[in-house]
Amino acid sequence: MRVDAKVVMLGKESVGKTSLVERYVHHRFLVGPYQNTIGAAFVAKPIQVGEKVVTLGIWDTAGSERYEAMSRIYYRGARAALVCYDLSDSSSFQRARFWVKELQNCEEHCKIYLCGTKSDLIDGDRSLRQIDYHDAQDFAEEIGAQHFETSSKTGKNVDELFQKVAEVYNSTAFQYMTAEETGVDLGQKKDSYFYTCCHNN
Amino acid sequence: MDGEAPRARASWENGSLAPVDRLRTERADSPTPGLVEGTEPGAGQKSAMFVHAQSFEDLNAEVEKDARRDDEVDRSEGEHAEEELKVLVREENIEEPPNSPLESRSKEEDVSSEAWRSHRKHVFVLSEAGKPIYTRYGTEEALSSTVGVMIALVSFVEAEKNIIRSIHADGYKVVFLSKSPLVLVGVYRTCQSDKELLRELQYIYYQIVSLLTLTQLNHIFQHKQNYDLRRLLAGSEYLTDNLLLRLDRDPGLLLSAVTCLPLATSARDVVSSSLQAAKATNLVFSILLAGDQLVTLIRKKDQFLHHIDLHLVFNLVGSSSSFREGEGWTPICLPKFNTAGFFHAHISYLEPASQLCLILVSTDREDFFNMSDCKKRFLERLSKRSAYQALKEALKSPSYSVAQVGIPELRHFLYKSKSSGLYTSPEFPVMYQSDEEQERLMGLYQDLHSCLHHPTRPLSYFYRCGETENLLAWVTSGFELYLCFSPLGTKALAVSAVTKLLKWIRKEEDRLFILTPLTY
Repeated sequence: MRVDAKVVMLGKESVGKTSLVERYVHHRFLVGPYQNTIGAAFVAKPIQVGEKVVTLGIWDTAGSERYEAMSRIYYRGARAALVCYDLSDSSSFQRARFWVKELQNCEEHCKIYLCGTKSDLIDGDRSLRQIDYHDAQDFAEEIGAQHFETSSKTGKNVDELFQKVAEVYNSTAFQYMTAEETGVDLGQKKDSYFYTCCHNN
Repeated sequence: MDGEAPRARASWENGSLAPVDRLRTERADSPTPGLVEGTEPGAGQKSAMFVHAQSFEDLNAEVEKDARRDDEVDRSEGEHAEEELKVLVREENIEEPPNSPLESRSKEEDVSSEAWRSHRKHVFVLSEAGKPIYTRYGTEEALSSTVGVMIALVSFVEAEKNIIRSIHADGYKVVFLSKSPLVLVGVYRTCQSDKELLRELQYIYYQIVSLLTLTQLNHIFQHKQNYDLRRLLAGSEYLTDNLLLRLDRDPGLLLSAVTCLPLATSARDVVSSSLQAAKATNLVFSILLAGDQLVTLIRKKDQFLHHIDLHLVFNLVGSSSSFREGEGWTPICLPKFNTAGFFHAHISYLEPASQLCLILVSTDREDFFNMSDCKKRFLERLSKRSAYQALKEALKSPSYSVAQVGIPELRHFLYKSKSSGLYTSPEFPVMYQSDEEQERLMGLYQDLHSCLHHPTRPLSYFYRCGETENLLAWVTSGFELYLCFSPLGTKALAVSAVTKLLKWIRKEEDRLFILTPLTY
């Protein structure tokens, strides 16, 4: 399968990156003991955008610190990064800030989507919320990111999130294509966004 | 199952168990044909698949040797590892308390309770600075004083330029394994020998190394002696938990061998050659598993896999549902191959609900899409052939009944071919089907194994009468055999059963073993 856009899931362990992918790709929510991802898992998912089909290649990475040294190979050349944090865990937001900084430093062309997870917990009990919606919104604006609060359990905002990713990719891909036609800027430093490791597919 | 033309069939007429073709050429003068390494039932017909650890003794010697070699490797550690480590070290300033995945394990056991004390096998891993890293039961935090005593014992004896190996007291055995920068301690209530228990601790050590590499471990502790390693191991505890369960239940870990899915040779050969055809430059090992059974294994020429490494892969795949979500891509260190670096494994199931899991081990961490392509090619090739259907059929009967052997008193057995590193064993009969009974039988096998491989007085032959079963164990240069009979049987009967069983295994070896391992 040809992959159009590389999308990477980043965030602290157990915030629910795998559940988000699972909900989006397989339309299900698995209840059961928490199982951490080992290394990373890759899924390709075609998605309809207007009259076009865009295939997202989603990298669901492990949140464990053990795999941090590997993380660069997963986000390099990514067109979108879903930086996830758990709405009921303030330390996971700190971790999200770390990933944002990392992306800003290493992958400037990667669109960032700030994604709060487990909103069903908050809906059940408001006192569980540790990350204020407006604080997160402000942070998202500051870094030029889109902001979503999602629940993989209920499916809230999940399809919308990935739809947005695909739409934004689609419109910017068009821009880049027209930009390319105007000629090559030799002064421009070697760019990473035309490079993805999906080439050989 | 025996419709295929036999490549090497035993000749019954002269009472020999050796394959006819070999008997004539190489082993004609052998006093006990068939019992010599390389000609026993199940022996591979080409080169072996695994690192050749001929016996348990070799394996242990090898472990010692390795330790010394590792030291040398570390001194000349590569820049590549350095680069990865920088990332780790830089991150150290974000101090977070050990987090939820730890608590999510059912470990809230009170370490001062009687229930905690009465566990049969405790395993602790600590750093040389005396920080708890892993405990099988309870939480690490609650154990700091216990761990303090352990490390005090180790360093007290070390101060006298000695090494503490074990303490025996009041039915307990406390076994120490010092593997700088880690110390592993086992506290057991069992009659297994120290050596066997040490082997179990070694497995745990290798499990940790396979996640981090020894180079990384050394680097971390050189920089920060009191580093809390649980931060890096967070979320992997269940791998160690599972490995400990396997050590109690899986005969493969006891025998230092792996078992194969029973499959007609014709089908296995097609599966193997399809896998062999799907090669790539950096691909070192392709492993196809069905649950805990090996379907086939292809390796790069001259590169061998050690059964410990293979068991670590089995444990990784068997412990996690993570690889069902998509195609997995993970760094993995195969410690018996090289403790200094990571391989990168592409792990995926052939079909969503399938038992068949394909593991492609590459040396390059950028190789994901190449490996993914290899898998696709393998599947395409395989789907075109009837062998895939035969393989799926074989999955429905992954084991066989001991009744097939035709020895009424025989309840169960383990047979290991030493030269191929493979073993075969029937399913557990009705009376051993519960977890407790299975573990009890495995315990009996472990005792026999301890006796046969006793460090100073090894036995080659052992018969034991019990109230609930009679047991016979026999080790030759070619095989290891453990039999479990009904308690009504006699010794003479048991001895005659051996010959009958060996003949049966010889007859079935095409199906039960991988006789022609392939390489790229």
